[in-house]
Formats: sequence, structure tokens, C-alpha cells
Amino acid sequence: MSTLTRYSAIPYTGPAPTNREPYVPTDTQKMDARGAEIASRIGAEQETGQDLPTLVVRRERIVETLRALKNDLTFTMPLDLWAVDYPRRRQRFDVMYQLYSLQNNERVRLKVPVADGEPIPSSLPVYKGFDWFEREVWDLYGVRFDGHPNLRRILTHEAFQGHALRKDYDPAQRWLCTEKDVAALVPKVDPRFERVDTDFERVTLNLGPSHPATHGTLRIVVILDGEKIIGAEQEIGYLHRCFEKSCETHTYQQAIPFTDRLNYMSAIINNVGYCMTVEKLLGVEAPERAQHVRLILSEFMRIADHLVCIGTNLVDMGALTNFWYLFQPREEIYGLIEACCGARLLPSYLRIGGLAVDVPPNFLENAQRLVNMLPKYIDDVEKLVSRNKIFHDRVVGVAPISAEDAIDFGFTGPCLRACGIPFDVRKSNPYLGYETYDWDVPIAEGGDTYARYLVRMEEMRQSLRILQQAIDRGLPSGPVIIDNPYVALPPKEKVYNEMESLIYHFKLIMHGIQPPVGETYFQVEGGNGELGFYIVSDGTKNPYKVRCRPPCFAIYQAFGQMITGQTIPDAIAALGSLNIIAGELDR
Amino acid sequence: MPIVRVKPGVVRVEPRKLSVMERIYFPAIIGGMFVTLRHLLRNLFNLKRLPIISYPEVKRVYSERFRGRHILTTREDGTTRCVACYMCSTACPAECITIEAGEDERTREKFPVRYDIDLLRCVFCGYCVDACPEDAIYMTGDYEMAIDTRARAVVGLRDLVVPPNFPVEPMGWRPYYGSLEKKGTAGGTGIGQPLRPASYPDDAPPNPDVYRGT
Repeated sequence: MSTLTRYSAIPYTGPAPTNREPYVPTDTQKMDARGAEIASRIGAEQETGQDLPTLVVRRERIVETLRALKNDLTFTMPLDLWAVDYPRRRQRFDVMYQLYSLQNNERVRLKVPVADGEPIPSSLPVYKGFDWFEREVWDLYGVRFDGHPNLRRILTHEAFQGHALRKDYDPAQRWLCTEKDVAALVPKVDPRFERVDTDFERVTLNLGPSHPATHGTLRIVVILDGEKIIGAEQEIGYLHRCFEKSCETHTYQQAIPFTDRLNYMSAIINNVGYCMTVEKLLGVEAPERAQHVRLILSEFMRIADHLVCIGTNLVDMGALTNFWYLFQPREEIYGLIEACCGARLLPSYLRIGGLAVDVPPNFLENAQRLVNMLPKYIDDVEKLVSRNKIFHDRVVGVAPISAEDAIDFGFTGPCLRACGIPFDVRKSNPYLGYETYDWDVPIAEGGDTYARYLVRMEEMRQSLRILQQAIDRGLPSGPVIIDNPYVALPPKEKVYNEMESLIYHFKLIMHGIQPPVGETYFQVEGGNGELGFYIVSDGTKNPYKVRCRPPCFAIYQAFGQMITGQTIPDAIAALGSLNIIAGELDR
Repeated sequence: MPIVRVKPGVVRVEPRKLSVMERIYFPAIIGGMFVTLRHLLRNLFNLKRLPIISYPEVKRVYSERFRGRHILTTREDGTTRCVACYMCSTACPAECITIEAGEDERTREKFPVRYDIDLLRCVFCGYCVDACPEDAIYMTGDYEMAIDTRARAVVGLRDLVVPPNFPVEPMGWRPYYGSLEKKGTAGGTGIGQPLRPASYPDDAPPNPDVYRGT
């Protein structure tokens, strides 16, 4: 074959870019029908053409609507609350609520349009889990929630001026926070312990933000009565990196390295969640081979996430050996990731439409070697701790949370499954072909630190089961990224040697991916629970809004309640078992 | 751990009840000691396979895709391949690349007069390599970039450009891995280009964007 024919310019024949046409979700008819049903039951307006049943609610009616949805339609779990700013509209903010029904496995989205300065009644009487979410919307958008008991800034500091996610906020501004700006954080004493008269003096103790046992920049202020915690409050935001604001000023492709830093313990899963959301918006799907690799690496990352969680949790309880045993296989997992994409912790391996490069030729052998090796390490740790009385004394019954509370707080992931609720996004809304694998969702009873340990241990074994099946099936042949020059860069050999491809390459770098106008939500099962991305596109190269639903955020807000009545060492053990990753918590 | 199937697709992990022997604590401790002892003996008689890397005497072997410090490649005549098209700085999510383009007097070709990468801003994502249409920027396996001043983190053409016959084989992230022969591109020669060192002398004030109080 001559060079000319090999590299001849073959014009792209696929669909043309559709960035100026509205986005139409694939299952919009079904969702609209269901939305109409819900709207008629609740008596609310419906917005059609969305990827979820969507209701538009006036702000005065939001609490009663939420209550009706919770009590009559079993939407018991508050998943997410966020806002989008449209400065040209009179009611410039859309405050969005997303709820989930465990019984019917369905989601519903509520939109509450409000003008600048108009307050919304707080939804805390209905869902406890919207506590921090409302604070976040107040902090970043300046939408007030009437009746919220503690409407303070949450992600930014006290000296911060303005509301950072408003479109008219200039991101180049800097605000200096000095010591005198910071008000002393004094937690409220829990009513259960208010009247208890003991011989001890009450002591306020500050834990963190730089404390070896917090594994990240988390700050907890506790009031102690003797050794017992009688009031606790968490403060977050020390690792806030303006993820959502940065996404708005970068292209869709450029946001992938930012997603790495969300839950940096399982970065590939974040990549998968983000890329699949954009792919959903674009109406494209990654090739089979890419999807298979995504699944394998996601499961390895999930195992690495749990290894770190259990390892560090045991270190906090004084069992250092387990830490070494669990970090060794994690190193090997990172070696596998590094062989694929050249970075260990922050891989940025995925691209919208597939993968950056194909996996190395010995990928499956190495994966198999890891799958053979991992059970040994998990078993070692189990042998060390599962019959150990000290471990049992430290974890059984420590920081429990009831299933109702966990749902009400919006728990997802291993922490919810430890309460006996078998909710896993991989089962309820399968993606990447999880439904074709034979595996089980592990649950445990009790919702305490021990149950969370049990669930994580079993989940690693279930992930190994998925991995073994995935390896046995082998990698499908074919490309690893879609052949659509409006989404993915053309191969380098074409870029160097063909005018057509070079132009596509330039266009894509300079003008970016331009998805159709619309909004979409997509969720994956992260290491800590449901990791969702909500993206609004206005047809330009930059996302209009990227919202990340961080699973840690919902979990960590319950921490104060969980440790009240416990002791400080128990609080440390509980904190480790929740696996709070500050990168995801603070974004 | 005992596992009970609750319903299809869901299993319950039953908490382990401690037996009397386990509750008196010592047998469990001794059992745990055996696990540790096994590891100790296995490691003691197998020192070569210890999962320990005695850095810096011994270094980890990374793959040939490793995303380390960048280099700018050169053509056979010694000129940089870079044509200052700004693609890498556009694709960079961290905005760490600063390019100033110049024109060669003789060939009328564009080339970089200044090409600075702020390694403290760089996130080593490899997007610059993916974006380059000229095969001009690669990443190496070099991950030892310790510096003592902020200004030294900004590397310029002096640090980045490598000689023409620089070995590419043990290199890091690059567009392709030895499978493809590069065909000619419409590049000029750029002979006689002046090379400029990194933008800041070591004692100059560092990045002016950084806020440090009033």
C-alpha cells in the first residue's frame, strides 16, 4: 500500500455537530409520562423534555411538595440540592432538588425558580439531609433559606465577599481571611445531655484541620463532658478548589484532570462519571473496548479506595500492620494504572468518547496477576482483626446510625449498605454493562463502624468477582475512542499527514467539544456512594454549569450526630470508617 | 465472614460472634502474631522480593507512558520542532505554558522565542502532548523536579529543548510508542533562532498572580 492511499484524506461521514439544537434525552417520553403522573398527584407544574421527571415548583410551595413526595410517593432519600444561575432571567436562580425513591427505584427533580434576594423556605423539616446542601447554595449563590437554623458559609471562609458561583462573580478576586474574621465555632450541646449533671467540667476540644487522625483537612469541634462527646460540629472547606467554577471557565475535555482530584483515592471512577455524563449529553457512547477497560479500572479503583479506607481506619485504632498489608496491593493497583496512562494517583486516563490511549499489551495478564494476589492480602487482614477482641471492642456498636436516619441524611454507598439498605447504583441504574455480571450487593446490619468494615471487606471480594469475569471475557477488539472528530482528537498519524484531520484537530483544541443545549444528570457508584454529575450546556465549548454530587458531603454532615454520646477515640474510629475524602467533600 | 443470601443480588454479611476462646483475647493475639510472623519469616528468607524500594539508591521502574517533566524535541538540524502554534497552551487545563512566537528572518517560519512551563502549576495531565500537531513536546520519565525557589519552577527553552539525537526510547508520554514513522510536515528550519532562558532570574519576584496580602 502506498503512503498516499494509507493516509488519504477520508472525510468524516458521521453526524454533523448539533451544538445549536436542543438536547433530547433518549428516554424523555417515558420520563415525561412519569413526570405528568407525579405532577398530577402532587399538583405541580411539569417541565417536559428532561432526562428525569421534572417538576417546577413555586418557592412558597416547596416544603409541602417535598412532604407530599416523601410521604405519598416514597421519595425518601434526598440526593442532591444545587442551583444554576441564569442572570438574564428575572428569576435568575433555579434551585434544584433531586430525590430518590428506594422502593420504586426512580428519581425526580424539582426546580424552584427564585429571583435575587427571594428566600426559599428551608426543607430541613422534611429532609435532614439538605442541611449542608442548603448552606452550600447560600454560600455559593446567595439564595437564602428561611428557617435554616445554621445558615453560614460552608465552602468559603468568613471573610469572603460575594457568592462565588454566580455568573457575575469575577473568579480572579482574592479574599484574605485573617484570624479576627473567624468567629469561634462553638457546637450546640445535644439536648439529650443538656440537663445531665456530672462532676466534670465541660471542655471544648478542637480536632483538626491538620490532625493525623482526620486524614485530610477536616475540622471537628467537640464539647466534652468528661470523656463523653455531648456536642459536635464539623467545619469543612479547607480544601475547596472551586471545582465547579473552574469547570465553567475550561472546556469539557479540560475538566477531566479536575475530576481526578475529587475522590483522589478512586480517580478513575470520577473520570468515568464525568465522561459518561458528557457522553450522555452528546448522545455518543464509548466503544466496547473502552467501556470494558473503564469497568476493569473502576473496580480496581474501588478496591484501592476500600483498601485505603480500611487500612487507615485500622491505623487509627492502633493496628499498624494492617496498613502495610493493605497498602502493598494498592501500590500494585497504581502500578497497573500507571502502565496504562503514565500517572498513579491522578491518572486523567479517560477522554470524552473513550480512553486516551489503548491499554498496554500485557494489561489483562497484569490484571489477572493482581486479582490472584489481592485475596491473600484481604484474608491476612481478616485473620488479624476479625477475631481480635480489641478490634471488636473498638468498633462494635460505635457511632451507629439507623437506616431511617441514613436515608434521611442522603447516605449512599457502603455507609448506607452497612445499615441494611441494598442500594447500589451499579444494580439500580446499571452502566458499563454491570448488569451482565454475576455479583451481589453486600449489606450488613447495625450501621455501626463494624458493619461498615464488614461491607467494605465483602465489597472488595465482590469487586474481585466482577474483575475475574471481566478478565475471562477478554478485551473486545476495536478502537478505544470513538471516531467522531467533533468529540475525539483524530489519531496522530492522520494529524501529521492529512490536512482534513489536522483541521479537525485544531478545531477541537481551539473550539472544544460543543454539546447540544440542554441539561443532564448521570450517576455512577463511586467508592463512597452515588457520584453524580449534572451538566448544563449552552452550546459553547465551556460547560455552563457542572454540578458534582459528592457522596461524602451527605455522609459527613451526619457525623456530628453520630458521634454525640461517644468518646473521642470512638469518634476517630468512626471518622475513618466513613471514608471522608476532603477532595470530594470540599471540591 | 459468614455470608447469607437475602434475595437475588443481595448478600448479608453476618457479624462474627466471638467464641469464649476468642473473648479471652490471648489466643486471638497469638493467631494474629502467627500471621505477622509468617510475613516476617517469608520476608527474612526472601529479602530480594521485599516490596521496598530503597530510594534514591534504587528507583522504581515506570512504564514508557510516564508523565514526567517535558522536553521540546528538535529536528535533525538542531532547530526546535515547535512552531509556536499555541495549541499546547490552549489545551492546558492548568494554564502553565507561556509562549511568545517569533519569525525566522530567513525562512519566514514561526518559532517560539519564549516557551515557559511553570512546573508548579503543571498538573502533568499530558494534554499538551496530545494537542501538539508537530510532534514537538514529549513528556519524559523524569519525576525529580525538586527546586528551592519558586522562580526555578519556571523552565524555559534552555531547559526544555533537547539535542536532535536525544534518545526517545526510554521516554515518557508521547503521541505514539515507536510504531509510526513520522512523515514530513510543513515545517521550516528556523535556523539561527535565539534561545531565551527561563523568564525570571532566580531572585526576581515570583509569579505576580499570587496574592500575598496588602
